[in-house]
Amino acid sequence: MRPILLAGHERALTQIKYNPDGDLIFSTAKDQQICVWFAHNGERLGTYHGHQGAIWTVDVDPTSTIIASGSADNTIRLWDIKTGKCLKTWDFPTAVKRVEFNEDGTKLLGVTEKRMGHLGTIVVLDIKVDVEAEQSDEKALTIVCDESKATVAGWSYCSKYIIAGHEDGSVSQYDAKTGDLLMNFPIHELNMAITDLQWSQDRTYFITASKDKTAKLITAKDLEVLKTYVSDTSLNSATITPKKDFVILGGGQAAMDVTRTSARQGKFEARFYHKIFEDEIGRVRGHFGPLNTVAADPTGKGYASGGEDGYVRVHQFDKGYFDFMYEVERERQNRLAAQQQQQQQQITA
Amino acid sequence: EDAERINSADVAVVEERRRLLEEWLAWRAAMEEELAEEREILGLPSDPVAELLNAKTAQLAPDGEEKIIE
Repeated sequence: MRPILLAGHERALTQIKYNPDGDLIFSTAKDQQICVWFAHNGERLGTYHGHQGAIWTVDVDPTSTIIASGSADNTIRLWDIKTGKCLKTWDFPTAVKRVEFNEDGTKLLGVTEKRMGHLGTIVVLDIKVDVEAEQSDEKALTIVCDESKATVAGWSYCSKYIIAGHEDGSVSQYDAKTGDLLMNFPIHELNMAITDLQWSQDRTYFITASKDKTAKLITAKDLEVLKTYVSDTSLNSATITPKKDFVILGGGQAAMDVTRTSARQGKFEARFYHKIFEDEIGRVRGHFGPLNTVAADPTGKGYASGGEDGYVRVHQFDKGYFDFMYEVERERQNRLAAQQQQQQQQITA
Repeated sequence: EDAERINSADVAVVEERRRLLEEWLAWRAAMEEELAEEREILGLPSDPVAELLNAKTAQLAPDGEEKIIE
């Protein structure tokens, strides 16, 4: 796997997002600028300027027309991807840690930080995916997290549920229309914060990463834990790869948190696990600090990681990656191929 | 005897993986069916992103087909 190094950020990366076509990569960092890159060659296409604080989060609408960002400057902003123009700013009492568009881009959720006098919330904004349109000032919905603040959140299939991961390690399912809390389960270890939540392509299941050193695959409908991936380091991010049944985990402890050099070695790697069998199958080295964010190309061609070291590394998968199969997977593939051949013979006969 | 024991352990691992794969595929098939039904009832396209991208392409190049003929 040959990586492309994207140098442009001056501080730690916070989130990376591919657009649905997989040709653009958006990245945010603590350096107050959003970058957009061409995925195939790593060339920087542009930057989006305006935020006055660290930027925690970014998302792109399904048609790659606009992006949304959330920042420590207590705002969510909407940007025209092509021109770089800021189209709208929404103000909040606290920092915005996560934004996500729903499946058709008509709604945006934002996770706001808890602070003295302010509970953490999940807000919903109505969006018009049109760079000429006037965006509404009003919030369509506010969910108050009075038990434990939400750290991450996202929209399920059909925009039916809002799923949130919390600081206390629990996961909640809310009715996306009314904001009612439907379920809350202690999924990760108590008081080990959930650091990431990313969807499968059809948004029927998702993966969470936690400080408890595990990532879990969970159904959106029942919050049933399907799989658990056990690692040896605190996790910051987890993503599901399309095409192949793998998941990629990123994490690592900051240098100041470990005393011995030997303890630090091998911690700054992207870890690949088999999605169904839960085994670790490989690691990719490169970053000089913890991996804060990992993202899978929606077309299945590669992945990108963003580090505490300020770099984005983009990897295109090689033939070995696509060929890799467990015996039982190959067995099934051969059986299906044989069945298909048989059917074709019957048709021609 | 050792070889036999290792062999039977390998068989057990493979059997377990076969079971996990079957279980996963069965869950996916059931979930996909349920999702398709739900989307149809709600009048939502089966693939929302593909639908939106097609609509955008059509809007940007309404005479796209003619251009291809040239």
